[in-house]
Amino acid sequence: MEFKDYYQVLGVSREATAEEIKKAFRKLARKYHPDVSKEPDAEARMKELNEAHAVLSDPEKRAAYDQLGRGYQPGQEFRPPPDWDAGFEFSGRGFSPGEAADFSDFFAELFGRMGGARGFGAGQRANFEARGEDHHAKVLLDLEDAFTGATRQISLRSPRSDAQGRVTLVTRTLNVRIPQGVYAGQIIRLAGQGAPGIGGAPPGDLLLEVRFRPHPRFRAHGRDLHLGLPIAPWEAALGTVLPVELPQGSVKVRIPRGAQSGQELRVRGKGIPGGQGGAAGDLLLEIRVVLPPAETPRARELYETMARELAFDPRQLGRG
Amino acid sequence: MLDDEILIGSLIEDSWLTIEQVAAACTVDPDWLLRHIEDGLFPNAESIAGVWCLSTTGLLRARRMRELERDFDAVPELAALVADLLEELDDLRTRVGDRRLR
Repeated sequence: MEFKDYYQVLGVSREATAEEIKKAFRKLARKYHPDVSKEPDAEARMKELNEAHAVLSDPEKRAAYDQLGRGYQPGQEFRPPPDWDAGFEFSGRGFSPGEAADFSDFFAELFGRMGGARGFGAGQRANFEARGEDHHAKVLLDLEDAFTGATRQISLRSPRSDAQGRVTLVTRTLNVRIPQGVYAGQIIRLAGQGAPGIGGAPPGDLLLEVRFRPHPRFRAHGRDLHLGLPIAPWEAALGTVLPVELPQGSVKVRIPRGAQSGQELRVRGKGIPGGQGGAAGDLLLEIRVVLPPAETPRARELYETMARELAFDPRQLGRG
Repeated sequence: MLDDEILIGSLIEDSWLTIEQVAAACTVDPDWLLRHIEDGLFPNAESIAGVWCLSTTGLLRARRMRELERDFDAVPELAALVADLLEELDDLRTRVGDRRLR
């Protein structure tokens, strides 16, 4: 395990005041905020910042880290001595065990193994019973999975207490059956897979939020599927029947005569299938009339014939 | 649990979550969430038979507001305003993404 220099992460000196640490964190949190940052590694940097801030903004953790890290360089091989944290009391404010599960192994090694009242505020009292917390995670699926259902392996890092009440971060791998008909934003509940209960109370649930990877052709809104459909001018003008490939199977769609770019055709029930009794979504096709290039003499001749014989001026449309 | 055991989950109906579920998922205090809902900072919260419920969009909003309040000491109204702007940004990004697909 490599030593992490939290001061370097925040760009402050070891003598920085609490105010300087707060200011440096906020400046960088603004720069690397995943919602707005253009930096490619914004999310990873934000996690690092949060971790460094969780330690350096907490006087007890900072004191322990300073004592332990004396003489270490960033990236240097590091192993904390046993009971290194004796004499320190950690209140664990600011970040919950769930959030701290996102932090590095280095953090988990130092501050994750804090027992009872010294943990992340997760103190345990005798004769105290509480249902375990529900945990939340995202599961990233392909759109096709919503049509067929899928089994996905999900790795989660979550805090666990041992018999002595010491908290450690463990990685669990779950095989989860994703039912047919799921859509983005929907929650799959896995009963009993959340945090363990305290004092014999039942464990919490794991709530998996469904997300789709971007699809090269389709876009999903709920169970509705949107697709841009390029068609030739003669198909638009004369009407036609076109096959449309779906994530699973295909459908024949009638393009009405006189179709125009921007018009939307709705094919009922051909979106994501209904799941657990729900209704299937629709397929929404947005017409896009694409002109063939006038790159050959013959193509130019055809366009010139149309120009001559159709007397068509699109700028006059809708002018009455 | 065996490594090859396959867990079968249940889909939460219409993706509505109770305050307790959202609070647990976002690691916020349920009272914090309730206070913010009652102050009108979660415009999409719905009271169904006297129970406050939020959609999964509310989940993201709660997480964002909590981080803004924690990281920047933002007052709740400012955190809600920033969350509004970020949601607007999400919407615009989706629309831009849609146009690229066409």
